[in-house]
Amino acid sequence: MTLAMKGAVLLVAVFLIVKFGLPLITAPLPMSLIWLYLFLTTVGIVVYGTLSAESTEALLGPIFRFLGGEGLNGSAKLARLAVLVLVPLLVGWQTYSELVPSSQPPAENRTIHPAPPGEFVGLANPVPNTPENVMMGKGLFSAFCSPCHGAKFNGNGPASDGFNPPPANFVDPGTIAQLQESYLFWRIKKGGVGLNVEGHPWKSAMPRWEVELPDEWIWKIIMAEYAGSGQKPRTWE
Amino acid sequence: MRGAPSGRALAALLAATVGLLWGAPVLSQETVVVRVKLIQGEVPTDPTAPIWNTIPATEFPMSPQVHWPKRILQVTVKSIRVRGVHNTKHIAFLLEYADPTRDPADAAALEFMVGDKKAHFAHGQPMAQVEGGPVNIWYWRSDTPGAADMNAQGFGTLKKQAQQDVQAKGVWKDEKTKVRFKERKLIPRKDAQGQAVKDPKTGDPLFDEETKVVEQEVTGVWRVVFVRALTTSDPNDAQFQPGTFPNIAFAVWDGKKLESGDLKESGSQKAVTSWWYFNAEPPTNYAIYLYGLIAVVVAAGVEYVIIRKVKKGQPA
Ligand code: HEC
Repeated sequence: MTLAMKGAVLLVAVFLIVKFGLPLITAPLPMSLIWLYLFLTTVGIVVYGTLSAESTEALLGPIFRFLGGEGLNGSAKLARLAVLVLVPLLVGWQTYSELVPSSQPPAENRTIHPAPPGEFVGLANPVPNTPENVMMGKGLFSAFCSPCHGAKFNGNGPASDGFNPPPANFVDPGTIAQLQESYLFWRIKKGGVGLNVEGHPWKSAMPRWEVELPDEWIWKIIMAEYAGSGQKPRTWE
Repeated sequence: MRGAPSGRALAALLAATVGLLWGAPVLSQETVVVRVKLIQGEVPTDPTAPIWNTIPATEFPMSPQVHWPKRILQVTVKSIRVRGVHNTKHIAFLLEYADPTRDPADAAALEFMVGDKKAHFAHGQPMAQVEGGPVNIWYWRSDTPGAADMNAQGFGTLKKQAQQDVQAKGVWKDEKTKVRFKERKLIPRKDAQGQAVKDPKTGDPLFDEETKVVEQEVTGVWRVVFVRALTTSDPNDAQFQPGTFPNIAFAVWDGKKLESGDLKESGSQKAVTSWWYFNAEPPTNYAIYLYGLIAVVVAAGVEYVIIRKVKKGQPA
């Protein structure tokens, strides 16, 4: 494989990784960032390729010969023509799409579980986990929380439809099973408006329960939430 | 002949890359947008103007207001259809929703953020870690001509502005309309013998949830139009630029009088949504096509220069 080929393969590999590989573990990357990675890779290839006269020839020689068209025939000739036509069209399209006003609203990149304020880290539930306390918690949950979070703790309450983001689904292993009781205590007490800027507090319908419910009730509701949704609080760390 | 095969491979790789970039799927959005269409001429101030039939509607489900006291658990209006038009000077929103009874206290409102600061959808209530801004509320009530142009920044701060910039008009018709909403039922779980199944640990009866989308025919429709200039001279107003995505939220009250003499819905007891978006369609900017074309020409020029250079530099 020539150096030019290796470079091209590397570029495509980097593109595939950042475009399709990374989103498997993180949020999809914006196109501008993908272009930046491709640009940096290109710079790397060029720097590496032009270290010596030989490698410069190995990197640029095939590209220049291809562009010059000398000695090409058959499908290679066609490929050259295609590249020469496509590159300017792609540049034009890219310019156009950068300038055209977007028809999509800003991406909803809200952090669902931002860091809690210091005073809400590591608090233990002071209420003993007895059947009576869990039962009382379930009663409170059904009175105050079920309209949004649902009688089945799944976020599907009769008042959930008009809210974006929707009320949390506690049965989903991505919500309270990821959290410590202390974190829930913060979220329930301070509500949506207690979130930091990453959590987009201005959108959240989660009430600020500290103005209506005593702490003891909140701790009981937390026990009921875990019992009712079949989840366990995260205890390690 | 080293050039030819690697050239072919390069071209193939390039073509593959272009194809991928081209076909890259657009990110799916969970958000919903009111598409405010750009029209020629005056924006309609009448809810029955024929132009509305040509404008696509966006439907938003509504929740009973259970976010802060005084709450309400059941509301009449389960969803609302919204249309919008603008002519670069004025903007008009048409709200359409089923309400079987026409009452003096029937009302509807739009809400927007004022300025650059984020405002909470519930009357711009204060946020613990973010400095919020005020909201601008446009309020219409069926027994009051026009609309009230108001501000709020926190519960209990709702106030009519000194400068009123909004017009509104509502028309109720006893025509049939379809409403769609989710209906949820809890069904007690039974065993084969028809006995209630209980949780083995707690002894609580178990039940299953059934959710289905119901479509109902209702007689009685409100259509309410709100009109305002896209931008005003009032610093307390929300200001709009075509092409942007301002937030918008909705509220509706069924002002039916109950036998007790109380209104079915009033004050904080209403149907609500949280923030969604609207987008006033920007006028076509033909310069963008020109810039694209210039980019094509420049890129082709660069290609030409490179090729000439390569050909000249080649040993004859
Ligand atoms: C008005 C509807 C509403 C009511 C009533 C409500 N919530 Fe919520 N809740 C939400 C919404 C919406 C969210 C998601 C947005 C957020 O995280 O702030 C949420 C999120 C939460 C979370 C965060 C879950 C996570 O994974 O981060 C907890 C915990 C919670 N609610 C508990 C409760 C409890 C307990 C009650 C009753 C005391 C309650 N909620 C009542 C709407 C509601």
